[in-house]
Amino acid sequence: MKYLPHRILFYAGILIVWQLVFMAGVWPSNVFPSPYEVVEDIAYGITDGGLFYGIATSMWRLLVGLGIAITGGVILGVLMARVEVVNQTVGSLVLGLQSIPSIAWVPLAILWYGLSDAGIIFVVAIGAIFAVTINTYTGVKNIDPHYIEAARNMGARGMQLVFGVLLPAAFPYMIAGFKQGWAFAWRGVIGAELLFAFLGLGHLLYAARSLTDVSYVIAIMLVIMGIGLAVDGIVFKRVEHKVMSRWGLR
Amino acid sequence: MKLEAHNITKNFNSDSHNLQALGGVDLQVEAGDFVCLVGPSGCGKSTFLRIVAGLESPDGGQILFDGRPVTETGPERIMVFQEGALFPWLTVQDNVEFGLKMAGVPREQRSKIAKRYLDMMQLSKFAGYYTYQLSTGMKQRVAIARALVLDPDVLLMDEPFAALDEQTRNLLLVEMQLVWEKTKKTILFVTHNVEEAAVLGTKIAVFGSRPSVIKKEIANNLPRPRAGGDESLVPLKNMITAALRDPGVQN
Repeated sequence: MKYLPHRILFYAGILIVWQLVFMAGVWPSNVFPSPYEVVEDIAYGITDGGLFYGIATSMWRLLVGLGIAITGGVILGVLMARVEVVNQTVGSLVLGLQSIPSIAWVPLAILWYGLSDAGIIFVVAIGAIFAVTINTYTGVKNIDPHYIEAARNMGARGMQLVFGVLLPAAFPYMIAGFKQGWAFAWRGVIGAELLFAFLGLGHLLYAARSLTDVSYVIAIMLVIMGIGLAVDGIVFKRVEHKVMSRWGLR
Repeated sequence: MKLEAHNITKNFNSDSHNLQALGGVDLQVEAGDFVCLVGPSGCGKSTFLRIVAGLESPDGGQILFDGRPVTETGPERIMVFQEGALFPWLTVQDNVEFGLKMAGVPREQRSKIAKRYLDMMQLSKFAGYYTYQLSTGMKQRVAIARALVLDPDVLLMDEPFAALDEQTRNLLLVEMQLVWEKTKKTILFVTHNVEEAAVLGTKIAVFGSRPSVIKKEIANNLPRPRAGGDESLVPLKNMITAALRDPGVQN
């Protein structure tokens, strides 16, 4: 962490500028709150439990949705990579569907599932699945053919080949897909909750906006950012690092 | 065990040109033979080995294994690839056990069998290592152990020592002879290196270039253990080199 001091200075600088702008009184404090008010709101959300409840609700939906996306995406990706007719048919559709932002599925989700958890989970899953699919496909396509030949030669067939060789050999790509899928899922769950207005962090954001509570809006945005950073930087970075070095890719 | 190749042909066709890689290869291998297939790079000897392994099918002719035609790949004819093709997500131990696991051998028995061959290849200390922690020579040892645990009838080795440095290669040439004597395996060993063939083989099959056939078979009964620099190998090496160069033998 050679640049840790720089980083600390940078964020301290942002806080100082923010505080100075606030003290200059350009905007009224209900439009432009001070850093202190925002921190206070986060602390209040924590003690009050509302923030935790929101995080837990969003996370639960995200994990179910991402779980579906990963399971479905891996199956689809392997099929596309190994069965050319699937690639030519389903594969072309996947590329098209991937270009639809997850938030654009919300109207359909509301019509199909109503204002329910299932609707939000649907949006999360459909937003993340194609990133997982495409990365799994690429991973399986890029497997050294000698791995597959060696495994078949040693007697691996069917599912043994899938679980024993295809998935582990494609894993470095799949991890990249999971990471992308997570990013889409996280954006998807917050976006969907904003529009569904049905519990979760996204809903808290919506509620704070309704109450014109600017500092609470900023507080929740910071929490959303913090969770995103934590999952990316701690969970995925570690797994990725381990996988890359073991697979001899670094 | 008896392995016969009858008039094996193989073409590689692409839009721009057709290439006949194998022009009718005949070969008889008896149990316990250590047959070295020598030929210039790209002569099709590796393709021939892959056909024997069942990883590719010939365009003409057939491979008979104990009188039955080979149609698919399987653990009775195990291939050791040039780069080893070890699985980086598994430890040395798990790599060596892979084939046994596929065959449904219970865990305890697997590790017992694996241990025997890890010991034989002097890998016991490295059982818990991952492949990225191993040298090229070490990887080839693992690949050989991984093949031997399955007790194949034939071991097919595709230039396994080509990527090794001189010293490691000489060491493995000695060990390979010991392994062959200990396990009494039938081995088909592809190499472009005349010395390797002279040191290892009981029989040396010299390939011509495209479309390739076996130009000459040379029996090799020189005493073992043999080593690369041995004086006694010189006449044999000269004979192999002459056969490789001789265009007249080509039919």
